[in-house]
Amino acid sequence: MIEKTFTGKDLLFSVLRHEDSDAVPWVPFAGVHAGSLKGYNARQVLLDPGKLVESLLEVKKVYDPDGMPILFDLQVEAEILGCELLWADEAPPSVASHPLAATKAIPEYIPQTEDGRIPIILQVMHSIKKEVGDTTALYGLVTGPFTLASHLRGTDIFLDSVDDPDFVTALVEYTTQVAIAISKYYIDAGMDVIAVVDPLISQISPRMFKRFFTQPFREIFESIRKQGVFSAFFVCGDATKNIRAMCETNPDCIAVDENIDMVAAKAITDEFNITLGGNIPLTTCMLLGNQQDNMKYVVDLLDALDHHNLIISPGCDMPYAIPIENTIAAVQAVREPDNTRKVIENYTKAEINIPITLPNYASLTKPLIEVFTLDPDTCAACTYMWRAAQKIKEILGDSIDLALYKITEIETIARVKKMGIEKIPSIYINGELKYSSIIPGQSEFLEEVKKYQ
Amino acid sequence: MSNLIHEIHEGILDGNQKLVVEKVEQAINAGLTAEEILNDAMIEAMAEAGNLFEQGEFFVPELLVAARAMQGGMELLKPLLTRDNVKAKGIVLAGTVKGDLHDIGKNLVCMMLEGSGFEIIDLGSDVDPQTFVSTIQEKQVDIVAMSALLTTTMVNMKTTIDALSSAGLRGKVKVMVGGAPVSQDFATKIGADGYAADANQAVRLAQSLLE
Repeated sequence: MIEKTFTGKDLLFSVLRHEDSDAVPWVPFAGVHAGSLKGYNARQVLLDPGKLVESLLEVKKVYDPDGMPILFDLQVEAEILGCELLWADEAPPSVASHPLAATKAIPEYIPQTEDGRIPIILQVMHSIKKEVGDTTALYGLVTGPFTLASHLRGTDIFLDSVDDPDFVTALVEYTTQVAIAISKYYIDAGMDVIAVVDPLISQISPRMFKRFFTQPFREIFESIRKQGVFSAFFVCGDATKNIRAMCETNPDCIAVDENIDMVAAKAITDEFNITLGGNIPLTTCMLLGNQQDNMKYVVDLLDALDHHNLIISPGCDMPYAIPIENTIAAVQAVREPDNTRKVIENYTKAEINIPITLPNYASLTKPLIEVFTLDPDTCAACTYMWRAAQKIKEILGDSIDLALYKITEIETIARVKKMGIEKIPSIYINGELKYSSIIPGQSEFLEEVKKYQ
Repeated sequence: MSNLIHEIHEGILDGNQKLVVEKVEQAINAGLTAEEILNDAMIEAMAEAGNLFEQGEFFVPELLVAARAMQGGMELLKPLLTRDNVKAKGIVLAGTVKGDLHDIGKNLVCMMLEGSGFEIIDLGSDVDPQTFVSTIQEKQVDIVAMSALLTTTMVNMKTTIDALSSAGLRGKVKVMVGGAPVSQDFATKIGADGYAADANQAVRLAQSLLE
């Protein structure tokens, strides 16, 4: 009998079933950012199923997720329902017009599988399910009823909540039915988790949440549960005061961003036995920080929290231009927290000069390929990069030299500092940076090395 | 505090525009000056609304209805303030940056600033750097306030600051920035004069920039 390997998907499922687990699952929300891994812009990945599939497979390869979303765009339903969109190259589109701005006639039409971009999304869901669905839990993202209502009505919905609460109730009843219908299409396409994403929830009081949204969200999560998949409630923004009210809607998981104190939030979600996901800061850490910032944030998070019912994720949809190596550093910290803690300590210690003599790159007799890794055994991107270099060595044999460095060793950190290396994994030839994070193709790599022979 | 001032103050916090308009009318008729009503009732009430927002007692809907109630009263006061030659604390030119349509935050900041005695020129959303420049060339402006919700558009804050510099206007105005992805670090990096995390802090910042 062949023993079944315990996959990342199994781990995530176990955590969503609230079972005890030795490890913490990792779910990167690579929306349009997925496109950046393959050089595609936001518009390309949100409109072209082939490019989206290609990008998501790269996410799987480089970021090694236990779970991953197919598409992160809260404008899909709004577009079908008549909102005009303003498209951008490095972000999901924004809603530019609101069909209910001047009318309070509640729509009746429920989007169908052939409407708008839903056929593209379903096609990609089927493809990714086939390619990586055995090992990776797949998330279908549905726009939450409040955010969709605000897309349709505009920001007047806030004043409506005071001036005309019956209208808001009726509109939210409608957007709830839209969310239930879209969830069903995504579940039928093989999604394992339906995440209802409603950032606007962060802008209202618990009282208003309970008045307008408790029942709708309960209905959505109940419908998802009845179809045999997991549910998640994503909120971006400072929803600190609403965490308890969100728990009362009974999702399997709640995901929050850096505005929320995870320790305080987890104390609440634990009361309800709901899994909490979060919350690597998107801008300060992932987009503008460096690898050590990301490692430190994740390790500190893991140290501060009980690992039961916990998922590590970016706070929300990852900005397009996040340096790939920052995410790789975050993955490494989730998977190897002890080693990572040591790396962070060594970064400080290495300040106390460990003498490192660099090769005299200018007078090498043959090309020297140096591969800098977090750890080639545990970091997927590092493994691929090291294998790519090994392959070149196999082909070129003794006519080149090859060296491997692991950042878990303090000497490597001293070397990295001396060479001014900021991105790992990376490949240097004769002391010059050639590739970082993106794994080079064999012929391209060979050509590059030959320039130094 | 007179009864009327107190009632206007409470009316604003309750978001009761009808009551605020009625009580401002009564206050004017009772001989209170527009400046007294503005300073003692409106600005005080909006400051309290802002504090409640910062403390997580008020949320966006509560702040919006308070600001709407305040604006109802302001419409009655504006002609009187002009007649009495009462100067605004400063003139703020506001807008979300090029490519960004998300204007809830900017609108809240404008309302809070107006309720705190500033004059607002609101350029709306998706504002081209050149529009900021030409408005400053045409009108008296003390502070430029820019907002962005997206990490992809916040870079246009720098583009706008650069455009102000190129036009030789940077020294004439203070620049303040805000929005979900923006931080003090970012504000410093792009050469802004200040960053505010929410609408209430924006008021304090605007006041301190003009001191």
